[in-house]
Amino acid sequence: MSRLTEISSLPWVRWTAGAVVAVVLLVLPLVSSEYANQNLARIGVFAVAVLGLNVVMGYTGQVSLGQIFFVGAGAYVTGYGANEGWNIGLVLLASILLPGVVGLLVALAAARLGGLAIAMVTIALPIVGVPLAKRLSDVTGGSQGLSSSFSNAPAWTGLFNDQWQLYLVLVIGGATFLLTRNLVRGKYGRAFAIVKANEAVAASMGISPYRYKVLAFTVASLIGGVSGFLYMAVIQFTSPETMTFGHSVTLLASMVIGGAGSIVGSMLGGAYYVLVPQWTNAIDPNMTELLQGALLLLTLFLLPGGLVSLPRAIARRLRRNRRSGGTGHHETPSARPAPGRDGVEETATDGGIPTERQEQV
Amino acid sequence: MKRKTHLRMTSAVALVSAVALTLAGCGRGDETGGARGASTGIDDTTITLGVTTPLSGTTAGPGTCTVAGLQAYFGAVNAAGGVEFGDGKTRKVEIEALDDAYDPQKAKANYDQLKGSVFAMTAGLGTPTNRAYRDAANSDQVPQVLVMTGDPIFSDTDESPYQLGFVPTYVNEGEAFGELLAASGEDHTVAILSQNDDYGEGYVEGFKRAIEGADNITIAKELTYEATDTSVDAQITQLAESDADVIFNAMSITPLAIASLQKAQQLNWEPSWFLPSNTSSPGAILEPGKASAFPGVYSVSFAKAPQSPAFAEDEDVQTFLSDLQEYGDYQDPPAFPHCMWSYMAGATLEKAFQEMTEPTRDDFMEALRGITDFTAPLMLEGTSVTTSESGQPAVSTVVVQKYNGTGYDTVEDFG
Repeated sequence: MSRLTEISSLPWVRWTAGAVVAVVLLVLPLVSSEYANQNLARIGVFAVAVLGLNVVMGYTGQVSLGQIFFVGAGAYVTGYGANEGWNIGLVLLASILLPGVVGLLVALAAARLGGLAIAMVTIALPIVGVPLAKRLSDVTGGSQGLSSSFSNAPAWTGLFNDQWQLYLVLVIGGATFLLTRNLVRGKYGRAFAIVKANEAVAASMGISPYRYKVLAFTVASLIGGVSGFLYMAVIQFTSPETMTFGHSVTLLASMVIGGAGSIVGSMLGGAYYVLVPQWTNAIDPNMTELLQGALLLLTLFLLPGGLVSLPRAIARRLRRNRRSGGTGHHETPSARPAPGRDGVEETATDGGIPTERQEQV
Repeated sequence: MKRKTHLRMTSAVALVSAVALTLAGCGRGDETGGARGASTGIDDTTITLGVTTPLSGTTAGPGTCTVAGLQAYFGAVNAAGGVEFGDGKTRKVEIEALDDAYDPQKAKANYDQLKGSVFAMTAGLGTPTNRAYRDAANSDQVPQVLVMTGDPIFSDTDESPYQLGFVPTYVNEGEAFGELLAASGEDHTVAILSQNDDYGEGYVEGFKRAIEGADNITIAKELTYEATDTSVDAQITQLAESDADVIFNAMSITPLAIASLQKAQQLNWEPSWFLPSNTSSPGAILEPGKASAFPGVYSVSFAKAPQSPAFAEDEDVQTFLSDLQEYGDYQDPPAFPHCMWSYMAGATLEKAFQEMTEPTRDDFMEALRGITDFTAPLMLEGTSVTTSESGQPAVSTVVVQKYNGTGYDTVEDFG
């Protein structure tokens, strides 16, 4: 384990790994089948939605059941703007800002309430969103929905539509992931973590829980808007059904299954959201919900930390086996580091201190 | 050391790029391929049809029926040898059904998954779910036919060259009521309650179009409700004040339909009722709503109801029920008309297959659009499948029926 960490911390290894990932992402859309591209793009859409949810729930500890509303709002703004012939950059901006403004307004009111009361307020969003989308039929197309094909590949690219759409997702989604990663690993991430752990402590340190809750919620709705833009780019259709409450719950389940408070976990959550209905369909289309429920329970029992904790769980098991083999190597299990410190969390530790640092010491 | 690192990195990137480009070269083959220009999903012995429909969630009941009816029909056909196509070959019909849980996003994903292996999409239930992949089906030139939605866009040949709706549009149904009432020759006052969306609007539009110019009909009061409302008591009370003798209730929500029947009785208001085809089930709505108290409850239909005593001995109905049990994996008598509808859609597809002279999607669309006055099994007298009329779904005629306490009888006159 420690040798692996050592190698992966060498700068040239990191650079090469980064370059390889970039090249693979660049080439992947060109080589994979149409269906694989479409699936990857869909995973990207929902990974971004789960990422937004993670900011408010995983990192800041505030239960939100309204994330799908922001996705839907972003999709509607995108569809409307694209059909009106707005500049696509403007459409992207509007599809992020409008859900963000709504999110800010809701958060200003909701964050005054403590604990689960916020969850109750956020439930209202999808419940209001569906009839609202039906009623504003001049803008939203009513219950027949809204389609838009703004994301078809431009002729000059020579690309297939699915390839172009996957590139859009990779670029916009990738940028969102990068920005969010920087946010949660910096000053704000630490503030979120303290608000999550103990609001009184946060306040005593001069961190206003109210302000950071509002901030986290607003960021989540901005990211939801990005996801909505990508939704429209990939699925090219939205209707009030997009925003139903059930999807919000599925997003939440995806976040928990992927791994709460984790960037990689958000990607895994997106994959769960998209792939599991397909797998259950392949097993028996008449029992999809039952199978999904069973899978959810199974993951929560076996991997309470989500799929992202799988490598750690395996490593722990291996280490335990080695210890029982009698190597005598002394190790104490490390306490879970504070959320927002994934850099530490994801490196191997020895006696609670990351191995790489130990060697420096 | 540094130069060496740099060199290694460059060579790694170069290697990956080279592999990737090689793969890219052979990535996209000719997808249409196939023997002698045949479309995807068809060969000399089989044809595969795809279905995306809700099999879980709140619309799972009717959704399951759309698959069961289709499987029942083609199960029986396959057991008898298969369909003899117009090109002289006999093919078995296979059905691949996937669950979309009434989610447009999943419907699109299912379509993306199926389009590489099926010849045509068919029989799926739901307006948003079918709309979600309509554009894609058009640009891929994949037929999306005989789908179970009353949305008129699927029957507009200009907008939807590769689509065709199966069931009558909401306008068709509303019109049938209006025509019956206008033809009665007596004076009637009508109260209208409709769902505030395209569903309710379609019904009311059809109804009003049919009574246009009929002096004997006056609309006393017209109200709407939202599909998300949990009660329409206030609307029923207001409508009762008008003392109309007919209520046209364009409602798609089962509990609300029951509640409105009950509320009218509480208010001692006893009009005749017009109910849309999907909220007029004798067992699920009229009995709990104690509809026998009213002078008449009318609905429209084009399918024989297996529960109705009038059709208990009917040959079509008996074959249908046994096919449904044997091949459709549906043991109980069907609770939703969608079972009958997709059974008829199966018969319509078979009819089109028999006319196909080439195994291509375009030839299939041409054959499908050339059907006139075909009486599919289970169809009521006076209704038929006609696909050649632009702007109309495959079944555009319905007959008005009156509730008799247990089931429905077809009626010619109002009253």
